[in-house]
Amino acid sequence: MYEYFVQIAQWGPSRAINESSWIFALVQAFHLVSLGFLAGSLLMVDLRLLGRGFSQQPLAVVARDARPWLIGSLVAMVATGVPQFISLATKEYDSPYFRWKMLMLLIALIFTFTIRKRVAYAPEGRFGGGISKAVALVSLGLWTSVAINGRLIGFFS
Amino acid sequence: MFDLALADYFAWLRSFFEYVSERETSIMLRESQYVMPWVFVLHVISMCMFAGTILMMDLRLLGVGNMATPFSQVQRRLFPWQMAAMFFSAATGLALVWGNPMNYVTNIIFWVKMLAMGIAGLNAIAFHFITEYTLVDWDAGETPPFGAKLAGGLSILLWANVIVAGRLIPYALTWFRTY
Repeated sequence: MYEYFVQIAQWGPSRAINESSWIFALVQAFHLVSLGFLAGSLLMVDLRLLGRGFSQQPLAVVARDARPWLIGSLVAMVATGVPQFISLATKEYDSPYFRWKMLMLLIALIFTFTIRKRVAYAPEGRFGGGISKAVALVSLGLWTSVAINGRLIGFFS
Repeated sequence: MFDLALADYFAWLRSFFEYVSERETSIMLRESQYVMPWVFVLHVISMCMFAGTILMMDLRLLGVGNMATPFSQVQRRLFPWQMAAMFFSAATGLALVWGNPMNYVTNIIFWVKMLAMGIAGLNAIAFHFITEYTLVDWDAGETPPFGAKLAGGLSILLWANVIVAGRLIPYALTWFRTY
């Protein structure tokens, strides 16, 4: 497995990123801007599930409004995340926080596009308040742990 | 490399930051191995909540997001979260500067961030006192007026600037020579 990471770090784009004094920095910065949009589009639905958001609208309407921004920001996150990964592939391989982040990301994505999506687009009243709140808290917890581990990669590895 | 003799123009600022750096709490923060990284983590999490709720309101102002909800409701329902997140971002940000004041006082990117925050605040105030007076005319409408789009667009650009500059602060040491 490690050999693959070594190979990735030696790709042309990876080396180009490492040789530049600003590409990595700017990519990191726009990863964070995308994170702001991602957090916002997640919060619109999760706050509504908690009964604190745009409560005059049916949940499905709020979710449909947030959807293009959720998908768009996820695409932007990946587009700015991959260059960081390939340029630091061997370092990421050793980082427990990178592994945790990827694991939590996988779980968060599966949860968001299965259970959470189902609850968000269900007919009004199909799921009780308890289930809605639990889904919101799990969603916020999973995505927060992705962000926390992401930030920690840079500190302790 | 650029030579930026910021300290010459802001000597009083430098002495204030020096004063802070000699406080016992500042030294404690600086020397703690684990506290600072976790303050950074909390700063990012509060940023998510702040930028998230601000940007979603800006998209509504621009007329490109959350259009099923009238602007007045977007604003009213997000306001408490924006304020709480602003408090936590400010508290954690203050702690970061308090722990390492001399890293920031001559850092041009840090001051760009502070300036962008100030302008973003003025933009919000200007919107509140000018365009918001006409709110009844466009609250639930599909196309907000120019003033609303301007306020939303500027807010997105300025807060994105704050986030970008925030992330680039450590790079100032290698990009610029400051003294």
